Amino acid sequence: MDILELVQANILTPVVLFFIFGIVAARIKSDLKMPEAISEFLPIYLLAAIGLHGGLEMRKTGFESMLIPLFIAVGLSILMTLYHYQILRRLGKFNIFDSYALASTYGAVGAVTFSVGLSFLKNQGIASEGYITAILATLEPVAFIVAIFLTNMAVSKQTQIKKQTFAKSKDSTDDLDIIHTEQKTKLFQVLRESITGKAIVILLGSILIGYAIDTDGFAPIKIVFEDLFIGAIVIFLIEMGIIAGHRLDDIKKGGVFLIGFALAIPTINGIIGVLISTYLGLSIGGAVMYGLLFASASFIAAPAVLRHAIPQAKPSLYITSALGITFPYIIMILLPVMLILSTTFHNIESMNLSYFVENLK
Amino acid sequence: MKLLTITCEILAQQNVIDLLHKHSISGYTLYEVSGSGAKGIRGQGFQNEKNVKIEVVLQEEKLSDILEEIARTLFSDYAIITYVSDIGVIRMEKFS
Repeated sequence: MDILELVQANILTPVVLFFIFGIVAARIKSDLKMPEAISEFLPIYLLAAIGLHGGLEMRKTGFESMLIPLFIAVGLSILMTLYHYQILRRLGKFNIFDSYALASTYGAVGAVTFSVGLSFLKNQGIASEGYITAILATLEPVAFIVAIFLTNMAVSKQTQIKKQTFAKSKDSTDDLDIIHTEQKTKLFQVLRESITGKAIVILLGSILIGYAIDTDGFAPIKIVFEDLFIGAIVIFLIEMGIIAGHRLDDIKKGGVFLIGFALAIPTINGIIGVLISTYLGLSIGGAVMYGLLFASASFIAAPAVLRHAIPQAKPSLYITSALGITFPYIIMILLPVMLILSTTFHNIESMNLSYFVENLK
Repeated sequence: MKLLTITCEILAQQNVIDLLHKHSISGYTLYEVSGSGAKGIRGQGFQNEKNVKIEVVLQEEKLSDILEEIARTLFSDYAIITYVSDIGVIRMEKFS
C-alpha cells in the first residue's frame, strides 16, 4: 500500500476520528466533557490492558530475547534526552530549565501513544513482541532521571559560582547552602516517586500477572482487557482531543522553533528506533512499537514528575507541544509511515539474506 | 489567631504540606477548587492541572517564618495565591 493511502485509511479509523472530534468539540466551545472519574480510570485501565497483553506475550517469547533490545533502549533514551537538550539550548535558545524539561518530555515514553500504536497494529492485523511493554515500563523513569540529575548539576554549579561572588558575606553563603541541599534531596524524592508512581506500578503489576496467568487464565477476563481495549482508547481520546483543543491557542506562543522540534524529533527518533530494532531482529510490528517508544512524548507522566523536579520550567511549553502537536502527528501520520518503513527495511533485509544464501549455493 | 489561606496548583500541594510539617503544624483543611487567574481558567483538563485551597489556623508567632518560606520557595515557580485573615477560634487549646 502506498504511504498516502495508508495515512488516509488510518485517519478514517474511529480512534483518530474521535480524537479530531474532541478537538472540534473544544474549539466550538461545547461543554462536552468526560466525567472526572472516567478520565482518571481510563489510563489505569489502558496500562493494565497493555501490561497483561505484554505479560502473556512474554510467556511465549521468554526473557532472554528482550535483554539486548532493553539495554539498547535505555542507552538510546539517555542519548536522545541529551541531544534534545543540546538542540533546544543551542539552536532554540530556550533557558536551561525549559530545555531540560522539554528534552526529557521527548526522551520519555508516552503510554497513551503506545496504546494507540497497539490498536493501530491490531487494525492492520500485525502482531508485535510482548516484551516491548516491559521496555516501556523500564524506560518510563529513565529520561526524567537524566534530566533531573543534569538540572541539579547545573543548578549546583550556578550556586557555586554565586557562592564565590558572595564569599565575603557569611549569611548569604549559608542561605545558598540550604538551597543546595534542598536541590540534592529532591532527586531521591523524585526517583522514588517516579518508580512507585501509579503508571509503573500498574504496568509492572499487570505484566507479572499476565505472565503468571497465561492464556487459560486470561480467557475469563479477555472480554474486558482485550475486546474492549480499542473502545476504551476511543473514549479516552475524546477526552484527550478536548484537552488538546483547549490548548491549541498556546501552540502559537511556543513559537515556530518548538513546532518544528515537536514534528522533526519524533520523526528522527522513530526512524532510528525502527532501524535499530529491525537490525536487532524484531518483527515488522515489533519494530513499529520499538520506534514508537522513542518517537512518543510523555504528556501525562511528564507534568507530574517535572513540575516537582524542575519547577522553574514552564509546563505550558512541554504539555502543549507533546499533546497538541506531537501526539496528533504521531497517531495520524507517523504511525503509518513507520509501518511502511519497517516493512521496507524488513524486505531489504530478507532480500539481502536470500541473495546471500543464493551466493552460498 | 490567624487563618492562612493558600490557593495553589495541585502539584505544589505536597510542597506546602511538607513546609507546614517542618514548622510543626499538623492540622489543615484541603479542598480541590477551580477558578481563573493569571494562568487563565484553572481546574479543567488533566487531573494534575487542578487547583487546591489549603486553610491553616495558626498562632501569630509562627506566621512570619512560614510566609517567608512559602514566598522564597514557591512564589517564583508555582501558581499560588496566599492571604492571611484574623479569626476568632473556639477551643483555643486545639491550636496550642
